Amino acid sequence: MTSPQLEVRKLCKSYDEGRIEALRGVDLSISSGEFLAISGASGSGKSTLLQLLGGLDTPTSGEVLFENAALGTAIGLDDYRANRIGFIFQAFYLLPTLNAIENVQVPMLALSESPRDRAQRAEALLVEMGLESRLKQYPNELSAGERQRVAIARALANNPSILLADEPTGNLDSVNSAHIMDMLVGIQQQRGMTLIVITHENDIANAAPRHIRIRDGRIAS
Amino acid sequence: MASQLSFAGFAWKNLWRRRLRTFLTLGGIAMAIGAFVSLVGFSRSFEHEWLRLYSSAGTDIAVSEKSFLNTSLDESVGIKLRAIPVVDRASPMIFNLMDLTPEINAIVFGFQADSYELDALTFLSGRRFQKGHPEVLLGDVLANSMSKKVGDTLDIQGTTFTVVGIYHGGSSLDASAVIMPLDELQQLTSLQGKVAAFHVRLKPAPPGESQEAYLKRAQAEIEAALPGLHAMPAAERASNNELVGMAHAVAWGTSSIAMMVGILGIVNTMAMSVFERTKEIGILRALGWKSWRIMMLIQTEAAVLGLVGGLLGICVGWGALRVLSVLPQTSSVVSAYVSPIHLLEALGIAILSGLVAGAVPAWRGAHLSPVEALRHD
Repeated sequence: MTSPQLEVRKLCKSYDEGRIEALRGVDLSISSGEFLAISGASGSGKSTLLQLLGGLDTPTSGEVLFENAALGTAIGLDDYRANRIGFIFQAFYLLPTLNAIENVQVPMLALSESPRDRAQRAEALLVEMGLESRLKQYPNELSAGERQRVAIARALANNPSILLADEPTGNLDSVNSAHIMDMLVGIQQQRGMTLIVITHENDIANAAPRHIRIRDGRIAS
Repeated sequence: MASQLSFAGFAWKNLWRRRLRTFLTLGGIAMAIGAFVSLVGFSRSFEHEWLRLYSSAGTDIAVSEKSFLNTSLDESVGIKLRAIPVVDRASPMIFNLMDLTPEINAIVFGFQADSYELDALTFLSGRRFQKGHPEVLLGDVLANSMSKKVGDTLDIQGTTFTVVGIYHGGSSLDASAVIMPLDELQQLTSLQGKVAAFHVRLKPAPPGESQEAYLKRAQAEIEAALPGLHAMPAAERASNNELVGMAHAVAWGTSSIAMMVGILGIVNTMAMSVFERTKEIGILRALGWKSWRIMMLIQTEAAVLGLVGGLLGICVGWGALRVLSVLPQTSSVVSAYVSPIHLLEALGIAILSGLVAGAVPAWRGAHLSPVEALRHD
């Protein structure tokens, strides 16, 4: 049996000096190349789980292991986010002062690559997303669907092994939602990446081969 | 070719986003650095011109009481001074800053008619003055600005002097000065028999003795022969005299205040910028940027503000010096020369100020929690 790519053990996260418990002892194993959907009501703790899986935050107790190494101790969170994880957010979070191709290069600035290589790779990713004619458009000149495609290209910039998408279709209409989900699944299958999607949309959750529900900070099913 | 994003380019785009604020901050730094370049440049050129004044005349040592601003040294001391074996020539002198017209003031030197210091002047027209005659020599720059020529008269503090010579001197201080007989200036200032200092030209150093060692020995011999008086090498006198000291103190004091204002401007800009970009900093952290890289980005922005503001300030300061160096009221003491080292110093101070001002906002930005930063509205 192969060991999980990501493993969560007795994960707890509380805020406000313990008065708010967002996660209450979550255990979870995720294999490499898996497509997992996490759903739950607002405030159930699903976004907190994603933040801990992505190394954006540290747990109050318990641990997150990436390839058997504990995040925050055996693996630095910054390095983990820079090299292993690609984030896709509901609100896209593109930088307004940079055009599409520059936005895709931002994660690469954290690595030692030549500016020419960075630009070429960013261009290739945007072409892959069907944005070859939108390379120099600024975020405010792009449609919501185009912005999310730029954000996906940016998430792929450093060749991560895991894509973490937090409500990636939350700001999109149904046509764009379907398009973005097809794109994410296609990327996951083509590249053999792990895809973890947080969603409250049943269609998306049910389309995933594995679906877990979070309720009151615990895995319900 | 796809557009390449560099770290510096990213920093510049962040500054460019708030153009008005960036320009206002640059204006503040430019004024501060401009003040530094012009004021400190002025005080240093003042010192430099003092040195040239001594060196062009061949003065090795200046002998005075503690301060040469007091014209309290007895002229008769010259007899003892000239008797010291190392002394070749000793020239008593007075100087004073006087109004020649309501708009023009100038340094007025009082020398003896046979002073060796007059030998160093190149006469463009006329001749030397004579002892006991109300005659003056004018530096060429001053003569031009006052449109005076040989034979014209000049009223100084109620006494009419005849211009008998126009000279070119070795320093901008004497190029814009008036030189008159010592006794006339003593009378004009009611200081008969008193001088501010003696300028001393030494006999050549004996073979085998270095100039430096000879100067020290001469200094010691003069001070031993004239207890209570100070014999100071000309270079030291130029940089250590009270006027230069005051000019340095005023220049550095004023520049420091201006720099403080400039630094506060950058602190304000960077603090506002970090606050406004809290969410963006969170995005960068989510994308794997380490704290030190965020810090470097903010510090680069602050340093760019310092650098560009510094370059603008150098232009402002140098321009101000050029204007001051041609104005009749200030041309006698201001030269437009600014040393390259002074400019580098100004640029260094500007960049350093940027880094100091950016340090706290950068530290704050770098230590934001990614999750908290992403939640920020």
